[in-house]
Amino acid sequence: MTYVLNRLLSILVTLFLISLITFAVTSILPGDVATMIMGTQSNPEALAGLRKTLGLTDPLVVQYAHWIGGMATGDWGHSLVFKAPIADLLIQKIKASSLIVVLSMLIALSCAVPLGVWAAVHRDRWQDGASSTMALVGVSLPDFYWGIMMILLFARTLGWFPSSGFVDPAENLWGALTHAFLPSLALGLGLMAHLTRMTRSTMTGILGQEFIRVGRAKGLSERTVVWRYALANAIGPVMTVAGLQVGYLFGSIIVVETLFNYTGMGWLTYQALLNRDIPLIQATVFVIAAVVMLTNLVVDMLYLYADPRVRLE
Amino acid sequence: MKRFLNPKGAIGFALVALMFATAILAPLLIPAEWATRMDIRARLSGPSAHHWLGADQLGRDLLYRVMLGAQTSLKIAGAAVLLSVLLGLPLGVISGFYRGRVDNVLMRLVDTLLSFPVLLLALTISAMLGPSLPNTIIAIGVAFAPFLARIVRGEALRVTQMPYVEAARSAGANDWRLIVRHVLPNIMPPIIVQATISLAFAILAEAGLSFLGLGTQPPDSSWGLMIQASRDYLDVAPWTALVPGGAVALTVLGLNMFGDILRDVFDPRSN
Amino acid sequence: MLRTESGPSPETLVSVENLRVEFDTDGGTVVGVDGVSFSIKQGETVCVVGESGSGKSVTSLSVMRLVEFGGGRIVDGRMKLARPGGEALDLAHADPELMRSIRGVEMGMIFQEPMTALNPVFTIERQLTDGLRVHKGLRQREARARALALLKSVRIPEPERRLAQYPHELSGGMRQRIVIAMAMACEPRLLIADEPTTALDVTIQAEILALIDRLKRENRMAVLFITHDMAVVAQMADRVVVMYRGKIVEEGPVAQIFENPRHDYTKMLLAAVPKLGEMRGTSAPEPMRTLDAKPRPSPSMAPAASMSAKPEVLLDVKNLTTRFPVKGGVLRRTVANVHAVEDVSFSINVGETLSLVGESGCGKSTCGRSILRLVEPQDGEVWLNGWEVRKLAPLELRRARREMQMIFQDPFASLNPYRRLRDQVAEPLVNFGLASRSEIEDRVAQLFDRVELPRSFLRRYPHELSGGQRQRVAIARAIAPNPKLVVADEAVSALDVSVQAQVLNLLMELQADLGLSFLFISHDMAVVERISHQVGVMYLGRIVELGPRSAVFEDPRHPYTKSLMAAVPIADPRHRRIHENASTKPLSSPIFPIGRQAERSTYDEVTPGHFVLRRN
Repeated sequence: MTYVLNRLLSILVTLFLISLITFAVTSILPGDVATMIMGTQSNPEALAGLRKTLGLTDPLVVQYAHWIGGMATGDWGHSLVFKAPIADLLIQKIKASSLIVVLSMLIALSCAVPLGVWAAVHRDRWQDGASSTMALVGVSLPDFYWGIMMILLFARTLGWFPSSGFVDPAENLWGALTHAFLPSLALGLGLMAHLTRMTRSTMTGILGQEFIRVGRAKGLSERTVVWRYALANAIGPVMTVAGLQVGYLFGSIIVVETLFNYTGMGWLTYQALLNRDIPLIQATVFVIAAVVMLTNLVVDMLYLYADPRVRLE
Repeated sequence: MKRFLNPKGAIGFALVALMFATAILAPLLIPAEWATRMDIRARLSGPSAHHWLGADQLGRDLLYRVMLGAQTSLKIAGAAVLLSVLLGLPLGVISGFYRGRVDNVLMRLVDTLLSFPVLLLALTISAMLGPSLPNTIIAIGVAFAPFLARIVRGEALRVTQMPYVEAARSAGANDWRLIVRHVLPNIMPPIIVQATISLAFAILAEAGLSFLGLGTQPPDSSWGLMIQASRDYLDVAPWTALVPGGAVALTVLGLNMFGDILRDVFDPRSN
Repeated sequence: MLRTESGPSPETLVSVENLRVEFDTDGGTVVGVDGVSFSIKQGETVCVVGESGSGKSVTSLSVMRLVEFGGGRIVDGRMKLARPGGEALDLAHADPELMRSIRGVEMGMIFQEPMTALNPVFTIERQLTDGLRVHKGLRQREARARALALLKSVRIPEPERRLAQYPHELSGGMRQRIVIAMAMACEPRLLIADEPTTALDVTIQAEILALIDRLKRENRMAVLFITHDMAVVAQMADRVVVMYRGKIVEEGPVAQIFENPRHDYTKMLLAAVPKLGEMRGTSAPEPMRTLDAKPRPSPSMAPAASMSAKPEVLLDVKNLTTRFPVKGGVLRRTVANVHAVEDVSFSINVGETLSLVGESGCGKSTCGRSILRLVEPQDGEVWLNGWEVRKLAPLELRRARREMQMIFQDPFASLNPYRRLRDQVAEPLVNFGLASRSEIEDRVAQLFDRVELPRSFLRRYPHELSGGQRQRVAIARAIAPNPKLVVADEAVSALDVSVQAQVLNLLMELQADLGLSFLFISHDMAVVERISHQVGVMYLGRIVELGPRSAVFEDPRHPYTKSLMAAVPIADPRHRRIHENASTKPLSSPIFPIGRQAERSTYDEVTPGHFVLRRN
């Protein structure tokens, strides 16, 4: 019980810090919301008036308190670009993005784990070389570059998948999946490369440990030794890294969603940044950081639950 | 040293050397106008004897543009990594060396910063400051700093607990001497490796920022900017994207290979 | 090279002939062992003994054919195994699938590190039964019953409960019992034990050795026992194989090897091992025996010792207490304290050695580090040469450290890998301002002479040196500022026995020449007996017995001291004393809740200067 309370308290502290950093980063700009609304050529007196009504002349502390107070009470403000309540926008876009985040993670993990294990088992032989080279090429290409290749190959040349747009899964599941597939693949390939490298190095370490030798000394088959004895130990670290990569994914979706015109969180963030829609920027940056933090927390908790060494009583 | 001679090391080193040589020499050897001269008849033309790697939508030669763009991309990436080291190194060393309350506070802040995706943080900073070349450097450098601080802190913590640091302390060394003579030299190898890999990531980040229009701005030319310009012509002239993208990929690949080899070379178990 | 008689006799279980194993590395092919031949009869214990790099582990892994998983190749030789049906199989050329059905069934193996030998994410039951299910086709219930029987045969307390537990919930000694139970699961006829007690404390070692010996007798099993420790050999072996640099140098029955060794290397090994009890009747320390001709000055001639009529106290430790917080929760608050050192008092005379002995976790290292204030004690007084070390301000402390230096256990970690040896030895001279720039060069060169290192090493880096040479550098650095006290924390534990003897002799010479006082921290009772003037036995953070070496070793009074003495193996096959204690010692831990007020240590002075902790 104290553990849960401690954990909750810690989450609140972290959320507070996240909001502080978000506010700090978005308050360093030379322009402000008033200029954004009225344009740079507007009448200075009207501008000053608007500033006052919007509370922009208040000290930063007051502005921050106002903003965080609104967030806490559910009033997330209005987007200047979309002329819509920010909270509604966010909910809708998070749903869209979670589809490609989950899909790309599935694609990445289902390829990376077998490849990484395979490379570790055949360490320093051609299999390792092949898998490591693939992974190295994978991490070296920008995500949007993968995206462009996907569009050229699967959409333009082969015509298998649409290259642009978003379809709501609630309306048309198949359409949603086909539209989400190429962006997910573009995201998943880079991620897969990272996770393959990670799986390989984790497995290499584990295969060098004494209990692996003990398993062999018992006369267990190599298959049992590798896929049960060793892999059971690698899952935890690999999952932790996969969790950390969620942060990387939420960065990459900004580029990939924009490229595929897939209207999710990344696309929304980009629109906000491009148009300097400050309230929307603050909200999206805060929400993405919070989601990343919470995902890592969940992965941590799963790890705590799964690993007998640290399992909770 | 022998490890640099294996194929991976040789290729990595060759790629890195090639890219840095291009970045330094191209602006000295190639007149800038060659990259801006518009050859109307060659617009969006493929590779030919006249334009070895083809031409872009304005008929500018892609080979010259990509060679001249190397300097911008590498300059931004290098400066950004330098900035992140300048910010992250002292923070990490202080945190790891002194531990205790300082460490708790600093690392809490760093961990929170790590919740912000690097690209998101860099894009936001760049958008807020107004996109420009120096601001791109600041954006990427600041966004990378928490990672570096984390890694430096871990290494500093490990090294500070080594018996040779305690031995030096018993031998009368003060904190400054301990840090400069004993901790820093021993944490340098992993930090050099990390900086090499960060350089690769910084090139990717610059490309991403410029691709979204929040990085390098015209008239400067960088690889990311070239890819952005190519987006509308993918169907008719895919090479306009493939050429700068290939340059990014080769550089990053070279840096990653080089980083891997450095890691092996510095690994105490390999000696 | 020795060869066994041709053709395995009916009772020979394994005969290894002319084995050669190579490893491919970046630097080319390395020979692991070459021309190794020996045989093991049924029901016999063969000890393979040698120092690091002798190829003893490679030999044992080759018999199991596990060596190829570590990058080794058997390039020559035969290893004939008598199968249960009577036919002989050459293990060196057996099919990998066939080997798999033999490993764990006809041959079982146990390893050095019990902490890492068990899979951390599987239960004990699963690890005990998976071999049974593969080889014997047992179902879960049958396998479980067999696992339970195995746990009982290795005498694990509460066997039923253990089945559902995970490795991290068990102590090192219990884990090693479980590894042994696993190896015994299919009743192998050969048990290969690769340094099975090296990582264990001496009392646990005694129990594990006794267990292996009993299992061998009960099951008429052969044992191939790999070790570096001649004392363990003397206790366990029927026959001994001595290896040196990948070759066998001598082989024979245990009595013959110990009483009439032929090869110089065997003689040197035996000479270098101190035997517990051999100092009976003497009062002063004596140098270690080595076979080099150089005469050693006896420390008993040291000026300090000859003036023993009125010993002068150098270090006086009073009621020293050091605790470490155990942090817990998200807020990293202190939830408990490790009472690492609890109310410890002793004093060291000028020119003398006081040894702190005890098993891992008893607080002996923390005690040494607390005196130098490398960790901050919570309570007590440390008087060195008239100053209270605990009251010194940071700057004064830095100056005071000139008087007290430390030598660490791991010679690989105690030297900065990126600095030249010259600069490392010069470090205290520079920091304490003890020599001008021009003098430093000379001083460092003299120090190298003093620790018998060639001057050509001055410009080298640590990785170019062997473990023993590095430890000499560390000693040179420690004596550079002319300290009065040197704390040697397990300073010879990581060294091979021959090197260990030389380094110990160097320390004793330095003591005689420079009048140094040593606080010698060690787990090795036999070494401590040889080199100490005073001895303190530590257990759970306290000194349980303290006194002159002869009193503590010849007349131990505290039960813990007695059990420690009884557990030490003696390097004499005529003096076997392995016997199994029925129960494993309960695990006591020095971790207490915050605010726990520990009681004072009170002592009875049984004879003058000989103190024994009073028990409540």
